[in-house]
Amino acid sequence: MSKQIYIELKNDLSEINRLSTKLNDFAEANNLSPKILFALNLSLEEVITNVISYGFEDDKEHQILVHINSIEGEISVEIEDDGKPFNPLQVDEPDLTIPLEERPIGGLGIHLIRNYMDDLEYKRDGYRNILKMKKKSNTN
Amino acid sequence: MEIAENRNENIVILSLVGRLDSNTSDDLEIRILSRIDEGERKFIIDCSYLDYISSSGLRVLLLGAKKLNNIGGHILLSSLQAQIKEVFECAGFTSLFKMFNSKQEAINYLNNPH
Repeated sequence: MSKQIYIELKNDLSEINRLSTKLNDFAEANNLSPKILFALNLSLEEVITNVISYGFEDDKEHQILVHINSIEGEISVEIEDDGKPFNPLQVDEPDLTIPLEERPIGGLGIHLIRNYMDDLEYKRDGYRNILKMKKKSNTN
Repeated sequence: MEIAENRNENIVILSLVGRLDSNTSDDLEIRILSRIDEGERKFIIDCSYLDYISSSGLRVLLLGAKKLNNIGGHILLSSLQAQIKEVFECAGFTSLFKMFNSKQEAINYLNNPH
């Protein structure tokens, strides 16, 4: 079984379902723990939901490319889209101490990614956003 | 995700099954907001069979909690699996929601004056 997978997603939120099925298969093929699978599901969903919800200014169909590889105790994920430039690494950390009445709705996705992944790298390449995420998989 | 709805006197109990993600969170949002519109004020979200949540799911729960807080209502959570609880902790949500180990404990809390 191949240790890496390529997934092409359309800019439609129903694709999150297909993504999670593919991630299950990948985790099984690579003997990943439920904890690592959860982190992959969460981080990929957050990135891709952002791209689908805010990345495109037209109503056309777009492809979001996902490449996931497992090498020597580390999972590397690369997500490529042709949406408007967006660097998630520049998003401010949310204030998690604000009481319920004033707590803003939203803005937690990037925060979760930062916590569930070990390394993030962003670049804008021509008209494409490329986000690389890494997760150590040899810890439980 | 499936939402099983039950009732204990004036408490609406929503049991979530599966994934509360960006593709399914609208269903829960519609359900909670429509019950609030119908006059319901006490909610328990039973997470026994919820095995995944993302920020889209957190968003809907926060939205419901804020609305209910403004009108003297409550939304409690019960039976969170470890991985779900971790997401709540990471998002700083443990200070915003009362969490119980079982649905019954949450019901008892709502039924007793406090």
